[in-house]
Amino acid sequence: MPSTGSPLSVQKMAGYGVAAVAAVLVLYPVFYLLQAALDVGDPQVRPPTEYGLDNFSGILQYPQILLNTLTVSVAATVMALVFGFVMAWILARTNVPGRKIFEQLMAVPYYLTPLLGALAWSLLGSPESGFINQVWRAIGGSGAIIDVNTPYGIAWVMALFEGSVAFVMIAAVMKSMDPSLEEASQVMGASRLRTMLRVTLPLVTPGILGAAIFVFAEMLGSFAVALVLGTPNRFYVITTAIYQLTQQYPPKIQTAAAMGVSLFAVMFVMLFLYRRVVKAGSYVTITGKAFRPRVADVGALRYFLLGICVLYLLAAVALPILTLLFASFQKIAVAFPTADNFTLNNFRMAMSMNAARSALGNSLLLGFGTATVGIVLMGLLAWLIYRSRLPGAGAIEYVVMFPQAVPRLVFAFGMMWAWVVFPIPIYGTLWLLLIAYVTVFLPLGVRTIASVMMQIDKSLEECAQMCGASWTFRTRTVTVPLLIPGLVAAWLLLFIASVRELGASILLMGPHSKVITPAIVESWFGTSSELTATLALVQTLVVAAAMVVLVAVTRRIGAQPGD
Amino acid sequence: MTGFDKNSLTRRTLLKAGSALAVATPLIGFAAPAVLAQGQTKSPTKVLDFMTNADVAKAEQEGQLVFYCHENEAGTAGIMQGFSKDFPKIKTSYVRAQTGALYNKILSERSAGRFDVDVIQLSDLAPAVDFQKKGGYEHYVSPESHAYKPDNLSTPVGSFFWTGVDPAGIAYNTDKVSSADAPKTWHDILNPKFKGHISAKISASGLQFVQWYCLREMYGDKFWKEFAKQNAHAFDSRVQLFDRLAKGDDMITSIGEYPAYILFKSKGAKVEFVAPPDGLVATPLIVGAVSKAPHPEASKLFVDWAMSKRGQAWYQTNPNLYYGSVRTDAPPMPTGVKLSDFKLIYPKDWDEYAKTRDVFSKEWNSMIGL
Amino acid sequence: MDATKPTQPHIEVRNLEMFYGGVPAVRGVSFDVQTGEQLTLLGPSGCGKTTTLRAIAGLEKPTAGEILIDGKPVYSSTRGVNIPAEKRGLSMVFQSYAIWPHMTVFDNVAYGLRVRRTAAAEIKERVGNALSLVQMSEYADRSASQLSGGQQQRVALARAFVFSPSVLLFDEPLSNLDAKLRADMRIELRDLQHRLGITSVYVTHDLEEALAMSDRIVVMRGGLVEQTGSPDEIYRLPSSAFVADFVGSANLIRGKHRADLDNGDLTALETAVGQIVYGMAYGRSVGDDIEFSVRTVHLRISHERPAGSINVWPARIEQTVFQGDFTQVHIGWGGQHLIARCAAMEPIEAGQEIFIAVEPKRVVLLGPANPRPSQ
Repeated sequence: MPSTGSPLSVQKMAGYGVAAVAAVLVLYPVFYLLQAALDVGDPQVRPPTEYGLDNFSGILQYPQILLNTLTVSVAATVMALVFGFVMAWILARTNVPGRKIFEQLMAVPYYLTPLLGALAWSLLGSPESGFINQVWRAIGGSGAIIDVNTPYGIAWVMALFEGSVAFVMIAAVMKSMDPSLEEASQVMGASRLRTMLRVTLPLVTPGILGAAIFVFAEMLGSFAVALVLGTPNRFYVITTAIYQLTQQYPPKIQTAAAMGVSLFAVMFVMLFLYRRVVKAGSYVTITGKAFRPRVADVGALRYFLLGICVLYLLAAVALPILTLLFASFQKIAVAFPTADNFTLNNFRMAMSMNAARSALGNSLLLGFGTATVGIVLMGLLAWLIYRSRLPGAGAIEYVVMFPQAVPRLVFAFGMMWAWVVFPIPIYGTLWLLLIAYVTVFLPLGVRTIASVMMQIDKSLEECAQMCGASWTFRTRTVTVPLLIPGLVAAWLLLFIASVRELGASILLMGPHSKVITPAIVESWFGTSSELTATLALVQTLVVAAAMVVLVAVTRRIGAQPGD
Repeated sequence: MTGFDKNSLTRRTLLKAGSALAVATPLIGFAAPAVLAQGQTKSPTKVLDFMTNADVAKAEQEGQLVFYCHENEAGTAGIMQGFSKDFPKIKTSYVRAQTGALYNKILSERSAGRFDVDVIQLSDLAPAVDFQKKGGYEHYVSPESHAYKPDNLSTPVGSFFWTGVDPAGIAYNTDKVSSADAPKTWHDILNPKFKGHISAKISASGLQFVQWYCLREMYGDKFWKEFAKQNAHAFDSRVQLFDRLAKGDDMITSIGEYPAYILFKSKGAKVEFVAPPDGLVATPLIVGAVSKAPHPEASKLFVDWAMSKRGQAWYQTNPNLYYGSVRTDAPPMPTGVKLSDFKLIYPKDWDEYAKTRDVFSKEWNSMIGL
Repeated sequence: MDATKPTQPHIEVRNLEMFYGGVPAVRGVSFDVQTGEQLTLLGPSGCGKTTTLRAIAGLEKPTAGEILIDGKPVYSSTRGVNIPAEKRGLSMVFQSYAIWPHMTVFDNVAYGLRVRRTAAAEIKERVGNALSLVQMSEYADRSASQLSGGQQQRVALARAFVFSPSVLLFDEPLSNLDAKLRADMRIELRDLQHRLGITSVYVTHDLEEALAMSDRIVVMRGGLVEQTGSPDEIYRLPSSAFVADFVGSANLIRGKHRADLDNGDLTALETAVGQIVYGMAYGRSVGDDIEFSVRTVHLRISHERPAGSINVWPARIEQTVFQGDFTQVHIGWGGQHLIARCAAMEPIEAGQEIFIAVEPKRVVLLGPANPRPSQ
């Protein structure tokens, strides 16, 4: 064979190596998932003895659950988009006071996790015991003015805590929009509102549509909020139903797998649409030039807009944290504190709970591991898909994006069956969770790194190549150094995503590999809501402290020499 | 995969031989139980204040105990805490999930050839019997078995025992329900004024299965058909039920477990317990050492400890457990009541009971809105 | 350089073809580059010139054809050879300069030497020389992100030649500079290229740049070579209407060949309105329907009829556009519009009747047109 005919040997080997790893990570569990969905034999016997489509027809026995899922997902998506658009417009386009700080704070609900949000809002807005309702009745009202156990209540909490991605996406679109397009409208005499409705909105529509599809997919797969807020009211969505069906004995795993598989059929269509929309839309507003978005002077209106921002962050950050803090000091959480109800016991218990302590340590360790392993694997994959032009890169992109289409809870079943029979005994260890996290966060990581990579002019790498640098040398000296600031951000994102992970962990953690978010859910199942609140607070504080340290450390790494 | 099948086949044959041997146990009686314990040559030794066939030094050398438990987080941690207090050299770790989920987990692990568990505790006799049939339990006759009635041990003896009983009646919030309106009999949970304000447990719960089975036996099918109209909210654990009851989120719970009642009463919660005159439904909490355990001596030691008087006292007095002990010489519970003071209802025919699992799951799921 | 055989071109491109997802970008291009020669690929955007250059560099994989350097294939579809860019021993200056922002000027320039594991002392010396050659010595320790466009250009240049590559490739290196700087750099580049004597391939769409800097020009269009020749040949004797028009502005005159009126070197053409134009074929074959090209600067305008009997016609000024160094004159001539560029002299105004004349040797017969893709 002509050795000169197959160049880039290291490059190719690395490329196909990571592609193979990604394919195994994703397709190996998917195989087991499909197998279970088509298994119509005895559920206790694996591998299956009989195959068929009966499980799928079984899903239709649950029309109410499908309807519930749709209601909540649509409502949450709409709310998240409205919040996201309004906040993005205010923070990216107006001279509202303290924009910089608010923009930073917008990421906080994501860090707080939907679970914490749900626990806090459950304490705030339950029809009977919710603090808000207790206050309402104390000042003479009757009944409940707020009920978070309803579909819209669930959607509200989901929108607050899982919808921050909508803000990020819409803000990015708004920032990349040429401000002269808006200025042109104003020069022609259109009012600010008219400009926003007639020019800004249509221009960002493709971006919003993209965000909508993405957020909708997130909402379909959301688990924690529906579990904490829906279950008390006999309100099940697909993910919580799957959870319940698989937790009972005998388990309805086949039906659950079929539900999961049908869900990813739906999500696949959504993601396909998303890609189309984003591809079509990106050329309209995003020209690749970095515009300095023009900030509109909105006059006295800015204080009104400031009020909106404050309200939003109150609902999504301040109120939930204060609520949990308040509850954690009580024996039985009520709105009006009394001396004999005060206790420090919850903190004492949370600190002494061996499980929680080791779980928190494991979570931080896993976050560290996932982010570090992930950044290498996902960086290589992003490069492979978007830069290498190796044949088959497009197919790999689909494989890598696959976990996005499946709720992590469902995907975890595939992973469980896949890795339990794996010859190397990783089942029940932290390694399994590491593999699981790296797998389920492939889409997140690759997308994040790819967007950073796209911003780097290709000729910077090509030039190194023309200088005679081998692939490994130029990757080390040019590509990676240029990527570092972006990679650092991606690292932190992966760290947080791992620490807050619930859906996959709840199924995969073992006696020696407990992690914190599922431990909190277990605490919600089996201990008091006050202790659960305390645990959630402790988790938040520890993760926040870890973040502060990590950001401080990575700032150093990320700082470019000469800057 | 065929390898696993072969494995399980041989395992099964082995176990058949083992249980054939075990059948002989009652004949020989308790005089020399140690002889029958697998690989056991020496006679039981005394540790603390109980007898064990386990090699304590070896168990401590193994240094670990892995426990699978249906109990809630705090309860599971509580059990482990009690054991490690007595044996600090043995590190404990656990997994907790509802009985159904836990049983699924251990079965799928074993079918894949993973043996990570030493001891398992289930809240339902049905999966325990199934697990015994599958050869899941290590055959080990504890020297402490003599203090238990045969009913409260596996047949044949040596697979599992009842480490406690969890009796349940009805409980209500005293702010929301006046004592005049309070339920008195099981039929009162069907009262329409509780509609939408009543809680129950999910179908993965062993106790819920027992309640469903027993009340159906006593009052017929239409009892639960009536109950379906109540729109009950279903939860995972007894603590969740009482947490909500204490806060007034629910007016009553149709399955108020006595241990949880004691716990919440002691916190000052406004909850009251009702023992219907027909009796409290009760489920045994089943503990057994698992075969192919990674730490076999520790697992035997735990079984002996749990069966012993001190282990039973721990189960009975830990606030997150408060199990009623079935030891013949058990002291009263913290409330001063003995388990034997309650009228308890169990399924009459445990085999019949085990067979209705599927019917129950289906019916119960639809009852709680799944 | 003297050692290389004169018959051996430094770079040979043979029937190069390149498709992007089924769309042809280069459709069979062949040319040679001699050692030490500066060859320019000239053409409008989308003609395939940059693609061809990147194929030589090894940054694009062609679909078919061959590329040889020093007689050895670096790419050959038939022989299954494709040597990666970093092993071809070439160097390149990018349109975007591709200056690495995370390195200093010195580190940028030293990169190629470091790749080659050159000793530190030698790196210092050679980078110093290269930087002084591009007059950037005092910027060596500056972060590359603080440079102006022109400075980046110089650094990119120094970086490209510092490790003595056998070939330098230029991808529109001056297109991002302003007009004044571009003109200066053009001279500097040409000067540097002569001093270094490196074989170079230069891509541009700018005619003046191509004419000023090249030893030879390859004019490309639609993925094909339109004409190859020295700048003088290309300018004087465009082979097609496209080249004539692209390389400076030209008037095109179409008509029938009047073989009966041919006179020695002169070829006669009769326009649709019966005017006879004499031009020269320069060895090209003459068909029945022929086309002449006349550069706008070669059309002379006078108020009185100039001496001579051929190629003198009365015409009428339609419009004049003052453009500084010259005036563009739009002329109506026998139902056709012609354009002439005159150094501003006597006042000419729209509506005036004048005479135009052109020397027959300035009237060039165009060759048959290349087949164009139907687009």
